[in-house]
Amino acid sequence: MRRGALDTLIEAETPEGISLELRPAGLPARFFAFLLDWAIRIAVIVAAAQISALMGGIGTAVWIISLFVLEWLYPVAFELGRAGATPGKSAMGLRVVMDSGLPVTPAASLTRNLLRVADFLPLMYGFGIISMLLRKDFKRLGDLVAGTMVVHRPRAVARASLPEVEAVAPAIGIGLTEQAAIVALASRASRMTGERLDELAALAAPVVGQPGDSGAVVTRRVLGVARWLMGQRK
Amino acid sequence: MTPLQFESLYEADWKRLEDMVQQCLARGRRGAARAPAVQGEQLAILYRRACEQLALARQRAYPPYLVERLERVTGDAHQLIYQRRQFGAAAFREFIARGFPRTVRQHRYYVLAASLLFLVPTLVLGVLIHQRPDLVLSVMDANTADMFEQMYSGDGESLGRRRDVNSDWAMFGYYIRNNVGVSFQCFAGGLFLGLGSIFYLVFNGAQAGAVAGYLTERGLGDTFYSFVVTHASFELTAIVLSGAAGLRLGNALLAPRRLTRRASLVKAAVEVAPMVYGFALMLLIAAAIEGFWSSATWLPGVVRYSVAAACWAGVLSYFIWQGRRAD
Repeated sequence: MRRGALDTLIEAETPEGISLELRPAGLPARFFAFLLDWAIRIAVIVAAAQISALMGGIGTAVWIISLFVLEWLYPVAFELGRAGATPGKSAMGLRVVMDSGLPVTPAASLTRNLLRVADFLPLMYGFGIISMLLRKDFKRLGDLVAGTMVVHRPRAVARASLPEVEAVAPAIGIGLTEQAAIVALASRASRMTGERLDELAALAAPVVGQPGDSGAVVTRRVLGVARWLMGQRK
Repeated sequence: MTPLQFESLYEADWKRLEDMVQQCLARGRRGAARAPAVQGEQLAILYRRACEQLALARQRAYPPYLVERLERVTGDAHQLIYQRRQFGAAAFREFIARGFPRTVRQHRYYVLAASLLFLVPTLVLGVLIHQRPDLVLSVMDANTADMFEQMYSGDGESLGRRRDVNSDWAMFGYYIRNNVGVSFQCFAGGLFLGLGSIFYLVFNGAQAGAVAGYLTERGLGDTFYSFVVTHASFELTAIVLSGAAGLRLGNALLAPRRLTRRASLVKAAVEVAPMVYGFALMLLIAAAIEGFWSSATWLPGVVRYSVAAACWAGVLSYFIWQGRRAD
């Protein structure tokens, strides 16, 4: 299956010889992640202001230093943690990785976050947004320099349940891609209207033999073939 | 082998791997004490097996849910296994002893260029404004000039400070924010073909020169210089280094040689990274000196100037000689 042609999928090969599929995160997801992080930071700053007001002169210092830490080190500290993302990014199901799919290194994390200054110009992350919109891998300037990417964490996929029909052996020999297509159709069956399912199943009609049949009969048999292919042959 | 056979055959392994990954993540979150340790060797073995099975599953075009499950678990394990821990006392010592000064020397021409970009405007404006003080208004507005004059005049109680912030600690925090902002701008400006770095270096140099020239002309030179000269050793050096790092990025874009511009930029960023750590650290030191030492006006001038001289000599000789021996 060639998915790369349309998709923004990026493949990174690991030393184990498998290719990891990285799905770069686009502007909306990252924008909401940023908003969340921003809200968290504001909350901490307000809390710190309350506490430091009680402490007098040294309180002011604590407050200013915490401003500094939140501004510059908040993303770095979280990106180097196990989650590989700030709380906002985690909540949106994102993480920061190197171009190779490896976890982000300290140097890269620092670089991408210091270069926020450049992304922020001329105002409101203008250059960062332009860069993200122009690129297929949605990198902002800091990501370009640091060689990092913000990707979607793969989501847990529910185990597909195939419709309960009688298993049918395919009438003709079919290749791997066709097999996969039939199984994929069957696992999506419950999310489609009956008419659409019939339409799609009709495309696979040669697999079940018996020309002349149509509609629900063919669909039932195609679903049966899917069951058979999956190995539920009783 | 049908997908279901395949799944039931390896299900136990995948489940264990998923549990182990979860356990590791949980340990990271709640501290090492709570969750039991994970057998690294076991994790690696299960991970490698899962990789093989993923390759098989893809090759045999097994249904998407199966492939995606394997992708997920191998992806998570990959992130865990290849996590790099580069910090630690040994790495830090190595960085101070060799990494930082060597990186600076490797970039000596950039450092030289950044120094000139900063110092020439400083000197020009300093001398110019010393001769014709009214010119200060072309660099900053009257209020700012007035504020600087107030900061360095009078009782010495509030020397070098804005009047509203009144403690060593508070000023320490204020200096960090201010100086770090300037330095990071100098660095990040490099992305715009180096023009941003040049602009911020010249701009900040001009500002510094204007303030120095103006205050000298007002007869506040002694208070001013005795205040700034110590921490300037770290602060100005850090700003110059951040500008040099920015210029390196700019040059990587302008003259990528045999690489693509992007590859050249990434390479430059990796090479210049120790300098970035370094100047951030120096800014911290500078802010500490500025907050706690420079304000100690009760010390006799000779002590303060000799400490300043020692700082300058220390900083310069660190970059010139430290870490030259290969051992």
